[in-house]
Amino acid sequence: MNLEELKKLKAKAQRQVALREGNKKYRVVVSMGTSGIAAGAREVMKTMLDEIEKRGLEDVEVRVTGEVGLEDVEPVVRVEETGGEKTTYARLDTEKARKIVAEHLEKGKKVDNLAVGKEKKPE
Amino acid sequence: MFEELSLHILDIAMNSIAAKARTVQIMVAEHARRDQLTIRIQDNGRGMDAATLKRVLANLTTTKSSRKKNLGLGLALLRQTAEMCDGKFEVRSTPRLGTAVTAAMRLSHVDRPPLGDLNATILALCAANPAVDVQLHYLTDTEHFHFSSKEPTGKKVASRTERNWRGEEKMNYEPGRAQKVESESAAAGCLA
Repeated sequence: MNLEELKKLKAKAQRQVALREGNKKYRVVVSMGTSGIAAGAREVMKTMLDEIEKRGLEDVEVRVTGEVGLEDVEPVVRVEETGGEKTTYARLDTEKARKIVAEHLEKGKKVDNLAVGKEKKPE
Repeated sequence: MFEELSLHILDIAMNSIAAKARTVQIMVAEHARRDQLTIRIQDNGRGMDAATLKRVLANLTTTKSSRKKNLGLGLALLRQTAEMCDGKFEVRSTPRLGTAVTAAMRLSHVDRPPLGDLNATILALCAANPAVDVQLHYLTDTEHFHFSSKEPTGKKVASRTERNWRGEEKMNYEPGRAQKVESESAAAGCLA
């Protein structure tokens, strides 16, 4: 940890704040409880943030939550759309996280083979 | 088991956010001369009464109602890591005022996990609740860095000497003096 790193952290935190403002089409929620962290949720989150930034996706916000009750299939990420549709992706790693950003968040196509459970359709 | 101390920090600090803290202060003190690494996560969340605290520490329990089995491992894992590295572990909590979790370990201990990606930890905490002020105090023998997510002005607070502690050989390192410091800190207790 040095001054340079802190400056980078500051810039990144500010970009994050910018990402959080306003209503976005997609909200990505990363499960970051003890089991999620142990399974690599932080790296998944970081990869998604980097990939979203790299691809210049502005209609996405990334949030973090505690345990979601899916401890056995962590890391778990939920993608929520403005219409209320929710997709839960499980057993992720950095490569799969990149794929979700490229397919779901950029092109709007769900990655069916990574999704778990029944999709919740808006009522 | 977490491979990085920064993952422990993330885990404990997530508890602070769950406890409705408005400020989460993370202190990492890396004292090479005392051969000590201290981590403290302090919040102004809802805190715990003595009975709850005792239960949380004794039985791997959680107070989070979302969990069916009321099983919590976060604090137990950090305690295990600290004790494995000749260290100490302490939780102090006051209802309505907040909680402070402190873990101290021997910096040079062979089992001590690396600090890891502290930046990713801070970013994750900011993403957990943007309204929470996440502060990081990073201290070494000679330097003190401070970061706050509310006021993101990464700045060097103070420099106690001209040299960085990493240039340890350049320092006038007197074994006798080091011993004295060690015994002093031992007397004062790891967690003073």
